[in-house]
Amino acid sequence: MTRLTIDPVTRLEGHGKIEILLDEAGDVAHTYFQIPELRGFEAFCVGRPVEDMPALTNRICGVCPEAHHMAAAKAADAVYKVTPPPAGRKLRELLYNAFYVTDHATHFYVLSGPDLIMGPDAPAAERNILGVVKKVGAEVGKQVIDLRHAGHRVIEIIGGRRIHPCTGVPGGMTKAISEAERQEIEALGQQMIDFAGFSLDLFDKMFAEDGSIEELVRGDLYRHETYYAGLVDANDKVTFYDGRIKVVAPDGEVFGSYEPKDYRDWIAEKVEPWTFLKFPYLKGVGWKGLVDGKDSGIYTVAPLGRLNVASGMATPRAQAAYEKYFATLSPDGTPVHGRGATHWARLIELMQGAETVLELARDPEITSPHVRAVPTEVPTEGVGTVEAPRGTLTHHYWTDENGIVTRVNLIVGTTNNYGPIAMSVDKAARSLISKGTVVTEGLLDRIEMGFRAYDPCFGCATHTMPGQMPMIVTIRDQDGNPLRELRRD
Amino acid sequence: MTSALGAGEAYGLRFAEPGDTLVVGLGNPILGDDGVGWRVIDELDSMDHSDASLQQACVGGVSLMEIMVGYRRAIIVDAVIDPEAVPGSVWCRPLAEVETRIASHLDSTHDASLPAALEAGRAMGAELPTDIDVVGIVIERGDVFGEELSDVVEAAVPVAAAAVEEALRGRRSR
Repeated sequence: MTRLTIDPVTRLEGHGKIEILLDEAGDVAHTYFQIPELRGFEAFCVGRPVEDMPALTNRICGVCPEAHHMAAAKAADAVYKVTPPPAGRKLRELLYNAFYVTDHATHFYVLSGPDLIMGPDAPAAERNILGVVKKVGAEVGKQVIDLRHAGHRVIEIIGGRRIHPCTGVPGGMTKAISEAERQEIEALGQQMIDFAGFSLDLFDKMFAEDGSIEELVRGDLYRHETYYAGLVDANDKVTFYDGRIKVVAPDGEVFGSYEPKDYRDWIAEKVEPWTFLKFPYLKGVGWKGLVDGKDSGIYTVAPLGRLNVASGMATPRAQAAYEKYFATLSPDGTPVHGRGATHWARLIELMQGAETVLELARDPEITSPHVRAVPTEVPTEGVGTVEAPRGTLTHHYWTDENGIVTRVNLIVGTTNNYGPIAMSVDKAARSLISKGTVVTEGLLDRIEMGFRAYDPCFGCATHTMPGQMPMIVTIRDQDGNPLRELRRD
Repeated sequence: MTSALGAGEAYGLRFAEPGDTLVVGLGNPILGDDGVGWRVIDELDSMDHSDASLQQACVGGVSLMEIMVGYRRAIIVDAVIDPEAVPGSVWCRPLAEVETRIASHLDSTHDASLPAALEAGRAMGAELPTDIDVVGIVIERGDVFGEELSDVVEAAVPVAAAAVEEALRGRRSR
């Protein structure tokens, strides 16, 4: 087999680039999944006041600016060694759960859901929001838009803007909310719960009636037995805003838990020559390559990981859905490994987000004017971690004594999942290539569905890669000569 | 449809009544040349366009569709990666003639293509513009963080603003 060094895809090409190398027998030897990366963010941040970071970092990404805003605000708290007062923290959590509702609903109905709602065998051109609207009806589509409006409105009330919030600062928030605003959020929270319930019912119905969905969720094609990681609260329940990071092994054994600030003691990053991105892995297990199993330090985050590490959900209706999920997919309570189950897990998290919005909107402290503790300590270094929809997001800042940033390290959600995503793409390729026979029909679809469940966010938000991700798949023989190229522009 | 983001609710600099023309500059203002759409809107804001709503946004797909609700016409100003054109050059085309992949912000990997989102929005009863032009500013790269534009793209800002004005004049005469 010839080893090739492949230049990572550039933004100019705008395609995800996948190289499939065959061995002498014509079977898949390796699959390389490469994606573009934005550059220069650390240099861009150095020299700026750390209190600017929450406003600055939410510009990294137009998809989850709220996640970066929260992680940055928490990191800035840590830099100044300041704890937000209860109302400040609750407002952040309220905003953040509203964001989760908006993001998860958008992902299910607009991006990944079409794979389920339209069916995995539907033409790719129909697996989009338009296909969903045609299949489930315009009224459901309107509800999705209504829900997005509700989420954005909550974010605007608390965060000052609908998309890129700006009120998180070291020590809390810059503004409180009024009683009238609280009442508005309370009504929107109930609307969110109703929609989350509808979505879970819709999934149940599809799962019961459509065998292809069960195959996608349970089947072997996208199954990987990895470690899992995610934040849990003090009761070992799923949490999005704050907690300890818990890690479980593929068999469900608890591997350990740690404070987010200690991430470098637990996570290392493997550099491969064929991609800009590094592959995070568990230090305590070690790097064995892109392989499954208890001896491999690869771990999975995001909805699948969060539900696998926690002992339950933090809210009642989400907990009921969680119990049904495990009773169906893993009655003994061991981790669910099928990547297609991520879609179901995401809807359960949607319910928790909605219930939390309502719960916090009814909290007596939520309208307190005391939303910020003014920092008094000398700034030094701090870590802020949240669960972004796409996985554990960590911001780590170092500053001088004046609070000027001297160094930045970010580990974004998708980066944690880069190993599992590459493994799923490889497995999809192997399912249609055997002994020199390449089944081109469906190959692009299977690869696309392989990474779509993870909702990968490799670049900045709205950049370059469209909803139907342009891809170039090149299949090469054992000497590296191209045999075939498949494109989706 | 009244539930979607109303007209002028993103990053509005000047709001017009729904029914008028929306000019929206797309991009990330801290990602170098990627943010040129915002700069063109800044340029236009210093001129007199009382009949158009000027906005800056960093969204694509469904979110961009939501911003357009209520407008009859729209002009999108966006950075484009176009290997066939020289960096700094400017063109104006109807949306239907634009390959959304090269217009950096019309699509999103987490969302849907703008044409699909518009079609879905209309299927849901939203009032959306049918007359949409794209003013594209060709950039070489937009993947390095920075607040400055490259020299060639900086020079293209007034050219793009003039292209928007010409498109607006054309609309008035339609």
